[in-house]
Amino acid sequence: MAVHRIITNRKTFNCFVNTKWVSNLSSVRWFSSVQPPELPPFDYQPVPYNGPLADQVFEKRKKYLGPSLFHYYQKPLNIVEGKMQYLFDEKGRRYLDAFAGIVTVSCGHCHPEILRAIEEQNKLLQHATTIYLHHAIADFAEGLAAKMPGNLKVVYFVNSGTEANELAMLMARLYSGNLGMIGLRNAYHGGSAGTIGLTALNTWKYPIQQGEIHHVVNPNPYRGVFGSDASLYAQDVQDHIDHGTSGRVAGFISETIQGVGGAVELAPGYLKLVYEMVRKAGGVCIADEVQTGFGRTGSHYWGFQTQDVIPDIVTMAKGIGNGLPLGAVVTTPEIAQVMAQKIQFNTFGGNPVCSAGGLAVLKVLDKENRQKHCADVGSHLITRLKNLQQKFDIIGDVRGRGLMVGIELVTNYKDKTPAKAETAVLFEKLRELGVLVGKGGLHGNVFRIKPPMCFNKDDADFLVDALDYSISKL
Amino acid sequence: MHKFATSLRRLTADGDKIGRCSRRWFSQLPQRQLPETADVSAGAPIIPPFDYSPPAYVGPTADEILRKRKEFLSPSMFYLYKKPLNVVHGKMQYLFDENGRRYLDGFGGIATVNCGHCHPDVVQAIINQITTIQHSTILYLNHCIADFAAALAAKMPGDLKVVFFTNSGTEANELAMMIARLYTGCQDMISLRNAYHGNAAGTMGVTAQSNWKFNIVQNGVHHAMNPDPYRGVFGADGEKYAKDIDDLIQFGTSGHVAGFIFEAIQGVGGIVELAPNYLPHAYNSIKKAGGLVIADEVQSGFARTGTNFWGFQNQGIVPDIVTMAKGIGNGIPLGAVVTTPEIAKVLTRRSYFNTFGGNPVCTAAGHAVLKVIERENLQENAHVVGSYLKQRLIALKDKHEIIGDVRGRGLILGVELVTDRKLKTPAKTEILEIMDMMKDLGVLVGKGGFYGNVFRITPPLCFTKEDADFLVDAMDYSMSKL
Repeated sequence: MAVHRIITNRKTFNCFVNTKWVSNLSSVRWFSSVQPPELPPFDYQPVPYNGPLADQVFEKRKKYLGPSLFHYYQKPLNIVEGKMQYLFDEKGRRYLDAFAGIVTVSCGHCHPEILRAIEEQNKLLQHATTIYLHHAIADFAEGLAAKMPGNLKVVYFVNSGTEANELAMLMARLYSGNLGMIGLRNAYHGGSAGTIGLTALNTWKYPIQQGEIHHVVNPNPYRGVFGSDASLYAQDVQDHIDHGTSGRVAGFISETIQGVGGAVELAPGYLKLVYEMVRKAGGVCIADEVQTGFGRTGSHYWGFQTQDVIPDIVTMAKGIGNGLPLGAVVTTPEIAQVMAQKIQFNTFGGNPVCSAGGLAVLKVLDKENRQKHCADVGSHLITRLKNLQQKFDIIGDVRGRGLMVGIELVTNYKDKTPAKAETAVLFEKLRELGVLVGKGGLHGNVFRIKPPMCFNKDDADFLVDALDYSISKL
Repeated sequence: MHKFATSLRRLTADGDKIGRCSRRWFSQLPQRQLPETADVSAGAPIIPPFDYSPPAYVGPTADEILRKRKEFLSPSMFYLYKKPLNVVHGKMQYLFDENGRRYLDGFGGIATVNCGHCHPDVVQAIINQITTIQHSTILYLNHCIADFAAALAAKMPGDLKVVFFTNSGTEANELAMMIARLYTGCQDMISLRNAYHGNAAGTMGVTAQSNWKFNIVQNGVHHAMNPDPYRGVFGADGEKYAKDIDDLIQFGTSGHVAGFIFEAIQGVGGIVELAPNYLPHAYNSIKKAGGLVIADEVQSGFARTGTNFWGFQNQGIVPDIVTMAKGIGNGIPLGAVVTTPEIAKVLTRRSYFNTFGGNPVCTAAGHAVLKVIERENLQENAHVVGSYLKQRLIALKDKHEIIGDVRGRGLILGVELVTDRKLKTPAKTEILEIMDMMKDLGVLVGKGGFYGNVFRITPPLCFTKEDADFLVDAMDYSMSKL
């Protein structure tokens, strides 16, 4: 694009300081770095807030929630209300929620249809457990199974991604009769003792017993030693199996786009190769869809579909209930049979309210065509970000798909030195401008853009403009 | 109320005309067939009146649901009763099936619905919060989590005042175990045989009933002799059982342990209240070995035992870590771990995070639950009604040989059925029959114990004396029909 070539660095750009360029072909917009961009309009007034203020809440947190509880921002943000893709603080100020409570609020904060489903069920029955029948769990299981390819149609309901991955690991070990699990470096799969073993980022791993876990080289196209060459990365898996295990393994687990790890999309073709190796070694393949599921990637409903594979077990949580504490494991009848040897019970899992909420989410996402929307808005967003990457050296990589996007910041484009301090500064600046993003990557230098799926092109533009403005001010 | 109920029962002696009348009054049966009941012959007890009509149910029937369950849900998912019950609505201590028939909920969704099904205050708190913000995570501030944590801490003795929120009892116990192992630097955990603490890998290790244990690697877990007054070899001599802990530590570990986890009244294990004087001795042994004591209050907490808010308070110790779930939110998925600031520091070594844990809606519900328990004096009610119920059950024991033991306190009670009182042979099949008969009469209870021969009675804490009478009368009637 000719426009890009003109504006390759800040010096040249400053000549155009008061100019706005709009291109028909790629909707490139260049904001002046003099005025900050404005939030898209939103026809809604938040309820006036009379509750405790930020300082009070923060004090109480420090006292009653332990010193290990961390938070975003130097001056923590008191979020009191949410509506669709926006959040409101104690002063009624509106923010663009580009992180969705960590990829969780899939339909939008307080989405009316989800609320209606939850409220109606809440008035009838919150909880009785599966020792009695109730239609909500059965209907929701059916709805979920209908979204699955292959023979994936037995659903287990739990309360979180951690619980789901714990159960998946248990299934893998029981079904295969083997112990060794294989996971990717840079993965995140949970915060319990068992899933901490699978999680492979030292900041999240307490010094505890991990059991037999083999952490293989991450097929990271940006930072990985083999670039995007899936077969070379896959060979590492075979190496581990041949030398680090008895030759037989329990299973392999991965996210298709690593979330906490910084929106790292696995090198294309990787899973196909690895799944075959793992199955040959007697193991099962687990797809952790906690972040990538439910149409977020735009091109497909499930992340694993972007790699053209069908796993044996799929785990999900976060977006499944638009924020309701809910998780699920879907597997084949064959694997489920093994679990029937003993009693497997979850008190809260599959309760009527969460099931009703979950089913409403499936319906809303379909009705509002969210998968396609993610594809459209996502590609618009990524295109604009890639253009921004041309403008600023600090943007080392723009990656992801649909509304699961990562922006990695580096101080040196060639060496890819993580720009930790700059990321922190920009993070704050974005908040000041009204954009709340997420952070990730082992070095905390990746912006994670994973908004509620009702995020639109105007929101995308605002976000990119805000980033543009903030980086210019660095 | 009690007199009215008994006179009503007497009136039904001449045919069940009045019985049918009251059933029609209290349940809407517009387009559906009459509720199928077993025999409602002369003398059958009648459910206490309840001034409420459930909305008509037009959803899938039991058979449709069962078919879907078989196709789409875990094959190990079980249900109670020969003909599983489609529970579609709940109100306080009652549940309604698809035909609008009312049942007394003697199980509380497994000791979970403490305030009562769809308790208006809790429902309102949920709806108020859910229409404001459901979820944002602790990355941002929100007053709900802080207020609830403060209120919870206020219910705790000693220095127990740092709260971690999770989504279930399993997650809470997993976290507690990890904290203990990190804090002490030791791996060995001790739990009691017959315990239940959860279904994830770590908690499955300390869970100690083979029915619930898959064939997995159990890391560093030791199962101590259960201080079971009814079946244990030392009867009710707590101190003798506690010596087993010393033994395990001396011979099975390095002499230092990570900790000990227990339920003050074992739930899944069949409402076994630990033998008196056991805990103080066990506590000392664990402390000597440098371990932490974890009280699993998932079932016994939140006023259920009646005499105290927490089960461990009935046992005269202050633990280092307390875990809770179930009743904490009246059924909303929520769990928590409470410990001391000193122990809590251990998690600062790395990042610990729980995405859903402490979300505004669940914490708002939890806070509402605490207020309801206080305002409605549910602890006192659990104590008064529970004691009354236990007395009646003990009296029933005199009447029916099949009752081997009646135990528990407050509204966490167990009735163990045996075919031989001396040998204590579990009445495994009889209990199923009685349970089914009771359901037909309109009483739902739970089942537990290693042999599945213990009735578990853990209703919502708004349970009344009339409910207690109805429950016992139904049990009496059913046992007589065996």
